[in-house]
Amino acid sequence: MKINQKLFFQLGIVILFFGLIGILINNLTINLIRTGLGINFSWLFKPASFALAEHPLPYSSSDSYAWALFIGWLNSLQVIVSSLLLATFLGILVGFARTGKNSLLGIISAGYITIIRQTPLLLQLMFWYFVGFLGLKDNVLIHIKDIFIISNQGIELSGFKLSSEFSALLLGLSIFTSAYIAEVIRGGILSVPRGQWEAYRSLGLSERKGLISIIIPQALPAIIPGLTSQYLNLAKNSTLAIAVGYSDIYAINDTIINQTGRAIECFLILLTSFLLLNLLISNSMEIINRIIINSRKYN
Amino acid sequence: MTLIIFLFQRLRKTLFSNLSNSIISLIFILIISLVCLNTFRWLIFKANWTVVTSNLPLYAFGSFPPNERWRPATWIIILFLLSIITLFGPGWKWLRKNLLISWVATIPLGLYLLYGGFGLSPIMSRHWGGLTLTILLTACSSLLSLPLGIILALFRQSSLPLIQKLSSFYIDVMRAIPLIAVLFFGQLLIPLFLPVGIEVDRVWRAIFAFTLFVSAYIAEDIRGGLQSIPRTQIEAANSLGLNQFQIIQLILIPQALRIALPALTNQSIGLFQNTSLMAILGLVELLGVGRSILANPEFIGQYIEVYVWLACVYWMVCTIMAVLARHLEQRMTINQANF
Repeated sequence: MKINQKLFFQLGIVILFFGLIGILINNLTINLIRTGLGINFSWLFKPASFALAEHPLPYSSSDSYAWALFIGWLNSLQVIVSSLLLATFLGILVGFARTGKNSLLGIISAGYITIIRQTPLLLQLMFWYFVGFLGLKDNVLIHIKDIFIISNQGIELSGFKLSSEFSALLLGLSIFTSAYIAEVIRGGILSVPRGQWEAYRSLGLSERKGLISIIIPQALPAIIPGLTSQYLNLAKNSTLAIAVGYSDIYAINDTIINQTGRAIECFLILLTSFLLLNLLISNSMEIINRIIINSRKYN
Repeated sequence: MTLIIFLFQRLRKTLFSNLSNSIISLIFILIISLVCLNTFRWLIFKANWTVVTSNLPLYAFGSFPPNERWRPATWIIILFLLSIITLFGPGWKWLRKNLLISWVATIPLGLYLLYGGFGLSPIMSRHWGGLTLTILLTACSSLLSLPLGIILALFRQSSLPLIQKLSSFYIDVMRAIPLIAVLFFGQLLIPLFLPVGIEVDRVWRAIFAFTLFVSAYIAEDIRGGLQSIPRTQIEAANSLGLNQFQIIQLILIPQALRIALPALTNQSIGLFQNTSLMAILGLVELLGVGRSILANPEFIGQYIEVYVWLACVYWMVCTIMAVLARHLEQRMTINQANF
């Protein structure tokens, strides 16, 4: 009786679900026939005929849409990886300042965290782009003998150039994510029992040595999962690149939809590219996690 | 006097305990005073606040017809008063019981005041804007995504394999894609999935897209709550003779919601901030108003003033929401202690 009931319940919901899907797909096909679009992917190999300001691999507007999408994916990966590193660095600094003994540093970092977390990322990105780079007085902020230049053209470090779009995105994403990472790190450090501090002090270890060899190894297992989810958020947030005109995977999809009207295909492409990015990030973090666990085992 | 000495000692202990600490403290005190000085100088002397002061109604109501602006204004004032009553009002039982109902009731009230009809002149949703629209998007999407999230979480926890797989698939896919993609394709694709002749306006398309997105995150938060309820509770309920639906309704959902409450309030604060994404997708909400004002030749180039002002508004509303959330959590634990 009970198993029958369960089966019927399940069947009912599944029928309801697929019924709904069926109706939606029916509507979709009617609408696609009406607009004369249909679904196919052959347009991917036609020339894209739009230019990209930034491309890590050679690209010209006569290349195919598929190649443009791949370039966009690489652009995304580039900004994600670099902001990930910068955000981790900043986050560690702020997180330790927040938990450290110096109460002034604690107050400053707490203020930093609340201000960053309570304002929208999009607003911050626009601020960095329009005020931080495009709005520079005399167009130059720092100019040290052609070695390090910050201007409205972006950042230049002895010949190595970063565009202003990329720099604004990098700065905005890193600062935003660092506030969240700081909280993750603070949570990890606080999860180590107070007795451990007293223990290494009574053993006569210095503060630095105790922190590095006693506290951090114990905090890491609590930090890594939080860090992974912040990295995944960072990857998703990098799509706001479109607000500052950086051609990431989402911005290129947007351009292609405006050109060709192929919304559904582009949605599927975007979905797959993000599944790929997510897999890449979560698998690398899994490997790091395993290395940490192993290193603790053999110590 | 003793207090001053105590403070002084504390300051010395935390800031100047040893040499390196003292150096760090001194450097930071210097930097902070420089930053503060420059900021104050800019705020008072250099900044030109006419771009804010002359456009206040725009920030609040967008392009809502000027002689009907009292409608969104009433709504925002009611929300504000309700927040104050919730936080500082007396703890009478009848008041507290009706507060939740009044909070939920503000949403249909807001929709009525904005849409009009029944005695008020009707106003199309394309005239809505500013802070009103931002709050409306947040409120409607939160209210809709909570039940959807609960259902998804229950399905993901259920022992029925097909339902469990379907719900897991939905949640995982939604959590893998960026919000802006969901919103953009919501604007593009929702009309494609509807039968010919039925149209949904931009605001509702945005609300549906937000709901679809946020409910996946809410589902995961509630699942965390569900998982932390000990199995013995379900066994106890079974032995009391409660059926499956009674267990879900009386045992699981109330406890899961209480445990997930901090995460849920964080979601709605995040949602409030994320409504700003609609600014690049064609709605004139708070950030959208800022963008359109900056595009006005009269105020061209006054980015800092507008962005600082918008940041203050977002920060303030977020803080109010966070304070309300903490109040709710405290009341929940008090109620639990009374049981």
